[in-house]
Amino acid sequence: MVNARVALSLRNTELSEVPLRRKISLLLIVAFAAALAITGGCSRSGGVDGDQDDSVSFDVNDPRIKERLGEDDGYAFAVMYGADIHGSLETCG
Amino acid sequence: MPTLSVDAGNQFSDDRYAANQLPGEVITKNKWVVKGYGDFHQDAANISYVDLPYVAELLKKDGYDKRVEEYPFIKRLISANIKPLDQQYAAPVPYVIREIVLKRGAAGQKLRIGIVGFSEGKPAGANNEKEYNYAGFNISDPFETAKKILPELKKKVDFIIALAYMPLDQAQKLATDNSEIDSLIGARQLSNMDEPQHFNRATITYAYNQTKYLGELRVYAKSDGSIDNQVNRYVQLDSTIPDDPSALDVVTAAHTEFTNEQNKVAQTSPISSKPAPMLGGVDSPYAGEATCAACHQKEHQVWETSRHAHAMATLEKKNQQFDNECIACHVVGYQKGGFQSLYTTPQFANVQCEECHGPGLAHSGNPTKGYGFVATPVGCMRCHREPNDPDFNFAVYWPKIKH
Repeated sequence: MVNARVALSLRNTELSEVPLRRKISLLLIVAFAAALAITGGCSRSGGVDGDQDDSVSFDVNDPRIKERLGEDDGYAFAVMYGADIHGSLETCG
Repeated sequence: MPTLSVDAGNQFSDDRYAANQLPGEVITKNKWVVKGYGDFHQDAANISYVDLPYVAELLKKDGYDKRVEEYPFIKRLISANIKPLDQQYAAPVPYVIREIVLKRGAAGQKLRIGIVGFSEGKPAGANNEKEYNYAGFNISDPFETAKKILPELKKKVDFIIALAYMPLDQAQKLATDNSEIDSLIGARQLSNMDEPQHFNRATITYAYNQTKYLGELRVYAKSDGSIDNQVNRYVQLDSTIPDDPSALDVVTAAHTEFTNEQNKVAQTSPISSKPAPMLGGVDSPYAGEATCAACHQKEHQVWETSRHAHAMATLEKKNQQFDNECIACHVVGYQKGGFQSLYTTPQFANVQCEECHGPGLAHSGNPTKGYGFVATPVGCMRCHREPNDPDFNFAVYWPKIKH
């Protein structure tokens, strides 16, 4: 399990050297869920229609991907959350 | 593992400039949020006072069924303490219920999860009214509402997630007063926090502004299937995980329509040959960088080579040059009589001298000492703050623009 501090510390090290491409919040929320599905057996909760999109491809052994996804440590369910997008589907700049 | 996706509030823009109605381009932005959240199976979004101008449009009874058919997510916009004031609007649902199957516990054991929404009223300075009338809706006291709605919800579900658009102290009170809440996910621009708090039985976490970091709250169950503990973390949303092609299509289509709306505005807004008037018709106090350069050549040369001088290009690369959420930190004098748009006031694009030193038109006409002091680094923090610029370090940044 990667805690928030470790994840946040990344921005001060390696990520500052990575050219920033798109940082589309919604896309990444979806991609993140899809990644969980591929690596950890994630499934949608009941009451939601549609199939899980599995069209995202990436190297699951990439340490940075592992950092983002965290490990499947036996949690019962997860709640992904955000707020204050104020009409913008992606973050600024 | 089962996942839920929620938005704790302020998902729609309420930017109305000087007009009463939401302009076309803002409606377009908001429409794509409803569509995007629906397409990607968001489970619920909490309505806040910020959202009401657009939510009012969505909840109009006239054409409601057809609208819901087109955008089913409308039925997942929740609020327990926002109700319409008159008959022309449908009421939002107070909560939604989701059901998951636990891996632990008896085979096939299910957990029913209720997601309920609360919003503070619009902050009104010294006005201590408990209720507000806003865009045809009433925002009642969230604490009183919670006392009524949560016991009712608890009878239907095993686990309650409260989405709360309010300051942390109010969220703490909500959790303290209501033992039914298991998780409280809060939001209110820039209120995120690294570590969750625990009040009563609730775990309190806060969302990052603009969802620049995605919150992930993991909930653990004991061997008998009862809930054990909760662990929160934030996942940075950067390029590490690639874009989802289908989601990229949605965002590209949204940008295209939004840009078309802006072009319509441009056709009716001639380029200004002088500083834009402020609201109320007062002349702009800004002069523009070209005026500054006449006397401050050396300083201007430093600025020209800085990223401040090319701040708008950063937005243009992402086709965000019309996005009000982003513009304020990439121009001079936005909504203060300076930059309005690239069409009408291109002379105020980029972070110019006056964005830090203050409006300089008067100084340019009467160049006496005393103008332009910048209290650093506080003066930089309006834009270079968490989470806009988490790497900001004044000692590192200042030499790049020292003048």
